[in-house]
Amino acid sequence: MAQIICRYRKGEEARWISHLDVKRTLERAMRRAQLPLSLTEGHNPHLKLSLGPPLSVGITGDAELFAIHLDSAVAPDALKERLNAQLPPGLQALEAWVVPGYRKKETFGEVDVAEYRVTVRGGPSGEELAVRVVELLARTELIVQRGGDRPERSVDLRPLVLTLSVTGSRDDEVEMRMRLKTGSHGGARPQEIVELLGLGEGDSMVCYHRTGLYASAQETARPAAQVRRRWSHTRGSGRRPA
Amino acid sequence: MDSGLDVILPRVQKPARYTGGEWNAVHKDRGSMRARFALCYPDTYEVGMSHLGLQVLYHVLNSHPDFLAERCFAPWPDMEQELRSRGIPLFSLESRTPLRDFDAIGITLPYELTYTNVLSMLDLAGVPVRAADRAPGDPLVIGGGPGAVNPEPVAEFFDAILIGEGEDAILEIAEAAALDDRAVALERLAQIEGMYVPSLYRYAPAGPGPRGAVTPVDGAPARIPRRFVADLDAAAFPTRQIVPFVETVHSRVTLEIMRGCGRGCRFCQARAAYAPKRHRSIETILRQAEEAVEATGYDEISLLAFTSVDYRDIEGLVSALVERFGDRGVGVALPSLRVDAFSVSLANKIQEVRKSGLTFAPESGTQRLRDVIRKRVTEDDLFAAADAAFSSGWNRLKLYFMIGLPTETDEDVGAIGDLVNRLVAFARGALGSRRGRLQIGVSVSAFVPKPHTPFQWVAQDEMETIARKQRILQQALRDRAVKLSWTDPQVSALEAAISRGDRRVGRAIEAAWRMGCTFDAWSERFDFGRWERAFGEAGIEMRDYANAALPFDAPLAWDHVDCGNEKEALRQEAEQALGGEQS
Repeated sequence: MAQIICRYRKGEEARWISHLDVKRTLERAMRRAQLPLSLTEGHNPHLKLSLGPPLSVGITGDAELFAIHLDSAVAPDALKERLNAQLPPGLQALEAWVVPGYRKKETFGEVDVAEYRVTVRGGPSGEELAVRVVELLARTELIVQRGGDRPERSVDLRPLVLTLSVTGSRDDEVEMRMRLKTGSHGGARPQEIVELLGLGEGDSMVCYHRTGLYASAQETARPAAQVRRRWSHTRGSGRRPA
Repeated sequence: MDSGLDVILPRVQKPARYTGGEWNAVHKDRGSMRARFALCYPDTYEVGMSHLGLQVLYHVLNSHPDFLAERCFAPWPDMEQELRSRGIPLFSLESRTPLRDFDAIGITLPYELTYTNVLSMLDLAGVPVRAADRAPGDPLVIGGGPGAVNPEPVAEFFDAILIGEGEDAILEIAEAAALDDRAVALERLAQIEGMYVPSLYRYAPAGPGPRGAVTPVDGAPARIPRRFVADLDAAAFPTRQIVPFVETVHSRVTLEIMRGCGRGCRFCQARAAYAPKRHRSIETILRQAEEAVEATGYDEISLLAFTSVDYRDIEGLVSALVERFGDRGVGVALPSLRVDAFSVSLANKIQEVRKSGLTFAPESGTQRLRDVIRKRVTEDDLFAAADAAFSSGWNRLKLYFMIGLPTETDEDVGAIGDLVNRLVAFARGALGSRRGRLQIGVSVSAFVPKPHTPFQWVAQDEMETIARKQRILQQALRDRAVKLSWTDPQVSALEAAISRGDRRVGRAIEAAWRMGCTFDAWSERFDFGRWERAFGEAGIEMRDYANAALPFDAPLAWDHVDCGNEKEALRQEAEQALGGEQS
């Protein structure tokens, strides 16, 4: 038994596929790669695969995570190479590492901060946007309505916005970075922040890219690629199951 | 990605329908190709990608060094509106090339209620919807598929329609499409066996409904023989099947084990459209299974046949597949199990890996009516099969029935309810402690008379009659374990009218499309009122096509299509079945 965690990229060509479709695509790619995959028992055997925080349809990212159980050990780099040979354009394994010990299911429950790079084309200038950012951060609450078809509810996004800044501009394109709370205990979506900034109207184009996933329980947030160290440290230390 | 699409995609449902890039999709250099095909399916991506025929042709064309095939599916109305409002022409998935820039547009004709989508796809591509209006620079528009056995309702929209199977013909078609001159290419197409070039024929209506003959002008053959491959084992088959990102109707390896059906049910068009019955050998199927599982990564293999248990050694095949793939977590599914040949051991073999649904089609409630339609199944067969299924661990069954069959009485309809209720009681006894989990799905469709069957002359029940018979069943089937579903009588009426349609029905299809009808097979899109107005605009009555009994001796609009079953033989069978009720 071995468990490997992999960081992968969901790129331009794959950005319109849903989280569930990404999961199925990874499953099929791993079957094609003929890895020694562990299967669940029962009439409907399936892979022991868990994915990190979902990425909304239309967004690219290169901080994406999955964990897979194998029946026998495979070198992480070999898994990465074999998988990449079977992944369609737009999905690419970037690095992989072994999780020591054995856990029934990896849930990535500790990942609670996501960082995005947002580029806006055909919108306000960098200076104008910087002013809006300052105004937004100065507010004590940022109430948005959520719910879609269901009864709407109000959510205050202000405590969920950790950082937000304009990081560059060129021609009619402005780049922003934002670090937002994410996950099951409440999170903000980058699209919500963009809307609060009064962007995305008309034909201005907004592109979102997730650049990092972090576990804030650590003293200083670390990129997801480094989260493994903490996971390896906490092994066997009574970490709660999912 | 070009920026027009970037703006559109966030606004439409399921954008991945339009972006391609799937595993095993083929990308070739367009410049070095002699003929480029856009293979189109007139329904959503999810439906079309589950159609094996499209993948077969895609594979054959792309395996050839000189030919290229890309795919295109009907855009859902939200996408259609975005494309129209921004003036973006319909494009292929692989290279996002406008359909107009292909040498040929090949369109599958899967089902009558997709025909308005044929028109919307052509129009979105910027190609005139009527063949007569096309100019030398326009791509050839070629049809084919199950619907081609009566090509008349769509005859005026196509430059050519292949009657029958396309694996071999597609390369001959590609040679024609490689010719520069449109007129010369059409001449070449007309010489291909099984190819119908509608512009070379004239229809002379002789009364209401599809009465009248389609006859050749300029020396085209009087009858077009249906094309079929002689040796299924040697026929091309795609094992590198495209693996869609999005969940499609069938997300699994599909292996065709048999084509055609030896049963001869009198209502069934497939016996004409897919004849003769041919088997693939176990060795070939196992090899294809191995290649396909390796190339796709799917965890299920579905065995495709009209009646998979009629395959000559279905038990041997299933055993071999389960033995080979079971420990890899790859399941085997038989989507079309028949009640009379079903066996306990077969059920158990499938169960070994994964439970798939069991479906039985008794079609009617009385033996008398089953004899009329020549469905050779008895009640004993059904109960024996159900017994085998329940004792092997199944709790769910699905039953298919038809109402409105020729000679049917209300007693026959009531007998369906009676049969199901007795089966439910029997199942509760057989299931014992599992009785609470019993589910019997009862799916009731309305009989649709189809060309090239012994019942092609028979009238469909009036919509009110079908609705009344549905109410009889609703009253009879009140058990909580029974889930009753039926088809909308208006949908069945339209299906019958197009199914037995002539070129005048084609005008009604065009009128309906101009009124905004598309995706008519989708209940949320179906608008019967528009269709009634469209038939009126075309100057015809829907009921003359759906609800009229046709005289045996009149020429019919599809007589020029030769499916290998002589009209006289069909007539004798009809007279035998109907016992002189129809003249």
